[in-house]
Amino acid sequence: MKTLLEVDNVSISFDGFKAIKNLSFSIGYNELQAIIGPNGAGKTTFMDIITGQTKPDNGHILWGEKSIDLIRKTESEIALLGIGRKFQKPTVFENKTIIDNLILSQKKNRNPFKVLFQKNTKSELTSIEKILKDINLYMIKDRIAGEISHGQKQWLEIGMLLSQNPKLMLIDEPAAGMTPTERNQTVSILKNIAKSSSIIVVEHDMEFVRSLNCRVTVLNEGSILSSGSIDFITQNEKVIEVYLGR
Amino acid sequence: MITDMNKSVKKHSLIFLITIFLFTLLVTFLSEPFGINFISTSFVKVLGKTLCLCIAAIAMDVVWGYCGILSLGHFAFFGLGGYMIGMWLMYERTSIIVLNSLDDSQLPFTEIELQEAIGNQIFGVVGGTEIPLIWTFADNLYFQIIFVILIPGLIAFIFGWLAFRSRVTGVYLSILTQAMTLALSLYLFQNDSGLRGNNGLSGLQNIPHLENLSQSTISILFLWLSSIGLIFSFVIFNYIIQSKFGSVITAIRDNETRLRFFGYNVEIYKLFIFVITAIITGLAGAIYYPQAGIINPAEIAPIASIYLAVWVAIGGRGKLYGAILGAASVSLLSSWFTGGNAPNIPLGFFTIEWVNWWTVFLGIGFVAITIFSKGGLIGMLNTLLVKIK
Repeated sequence: MKTLLEVDNVSISFDGFKAIKNLSFSIGYNELQAIIGPNGAGKTTFMDIITGQTKPDNGHILWGEKSIDLIRKTESEIALLGIGRKFQKPTVFENKTIIDNLILSQKKNRNPFKVLFQKNTKSELTSIEKILKDINLYMIKDRIAGEISHGQKQWLEIGMLLSQNPKLMLIDEPAAGMTPTERNQTVSILKNIAKSSSIIVVEHDMEFVRSLNCRVTVLNEGSILSSGSIDFITQNEKVIEVYLGR
Repeated sequence: MITDMNKSVKKHSLIFLITIFLFTLLVTFLSEPFGINFISTSFVKVLGKTLCLCIAAIAMDVVWGYCGILSLGHFAFFGLGGYMIGMWLMYERTSIIVLNSLDDSQLPFTEIELQEAIGNQIFGVVGGTEIPLIWTFADNLYFQIIFVILIPGLIAFIFGWLAFRSRVTGVYLSILTQAMTLALSLYLFQNDSGLRGNNGLSGLQNIPHLENLSQSTISILFLWLSSIGLIFSFVIFNYIIQSKFGSVITAIRDNETRLRFFGYNVEIYKLFIFVITAIITGLAGAIYYPQAGIINPAEIAPIASIYLAVWVAIGGRGKLYGAILGAASVSLLSSWFTGGNAPNIPLGFFTIEWVNWWTVFLGIGFVAITIFSKGGLIGMLNTLLVKIK
């Protein structure tokens, strides 16, 4: 499988505390992978580094066929290259309607002078309507995003990622605060997305990760403890010790 | 953006523009030169100036209410616009006067003598006779009009580029803009700043080459200019905030970090808004000061920019008419109270003199409105209208 993103020997420390230690990781095109680990394992820091919010002390992050190094790029440049991110706490624009949120994130020219005169074409609106149906929010598309439930906000944020149409999505705890039904719907939404783009899901919930049925990487204290299928890692004694056994 | 809200916004904007037009027409018919002489020339000037302050207020609303940048420096751009146009007004008028007086003398004069005489007239008050370098183009109206746009725009660009790129936000950014304003006004207070120190520029109400027109006619001309300026800037800002660009800047206000991850270069958007509002504010200043007649560095002091923010907050942030309502009502009330027109209130043991007590009253009003109505005056009006319906 061709590699889409390769994280190569990355380390970072905050005030002497090593949050990530010599971490290497890679994901291919249209691949779904999950990352699990206890609190403080470095999952969110890992995402911060990929998306450019935090600069690592050393190592490289190579992107795509041309192996562009992401280390020197800003958040918005990295987003434009095709990496989308969903935050742990669903972060949508609460004063805008659901549909306006999707229009805002839609993949389009981001040059301010172009944005000033951008109008939505019919086909763009159709694709947004399709996303609205996929994330089960079509019926309430004109509601203000601040008024909808926590689970719906999670979907809206995933929808915003879909509208952004990235090659790789980093999704932090998509099932947090969801009912079992919503959770199952989320699994099918994610699996559907994985047909056309790569996804890295960070989760606490072992059952949720099991239902994704993908390669799982276990992080602990900033480095990889084990990696493989869910059955493989749940049998690993070290994993049981630091994570599952607790 | 694509919802039904759009229609009602368009309707409101149209009603607003027609109101401004009718208002100006009404004042013209009530004025001395073109109507029934019901409104005094000085009051026409007050109204014209108020319209200019409304322009500054909507610019402030766009940069603060929509984009979330609490700039405490926009009145500096207003003043700079005034200074730029004031340089031409003063230089041109002085040179006409000097030429006339030299014509009366028997001996022919040289170019150097002319320059010296003009320099003496303008800068004698700060002990200089030489015309400073920055006045090089002061004899050319077109150059000075370009400077009205260029100087505020350039200062806003450089300042904004440095501040936004370093990701200074929130209250720190406000402090930084205030420091910029303070530095500028302190510089202008110096006698050798080339802009006549604390004397400022004066006699600006006398428009060169329009000597044949009375002040009352000029006041109406400037009233129309101010009114057209307000309509023009309202149309521009209204377009910006209704477009997708407007959606982006309110997203910056609400959560700029999140927006970066959608690929928006937040700094460029902020810079664009900062610069365009600075330019429009500068233009407003250039129309304001010929009506005020005088500009001095005290006008640029940080307190003026704070007032601008107060007007917007009182009127209602995040609504262009809110900013206009706030600026118009507060500045008109302010000139009424401080003009000595308001009746003093004798309490027996103490007399409330409004000239001194007005700011206290304004302060209480400000606190009350921000506590009781989130949307300012316009928010109150809207709630009232909904209740009546």
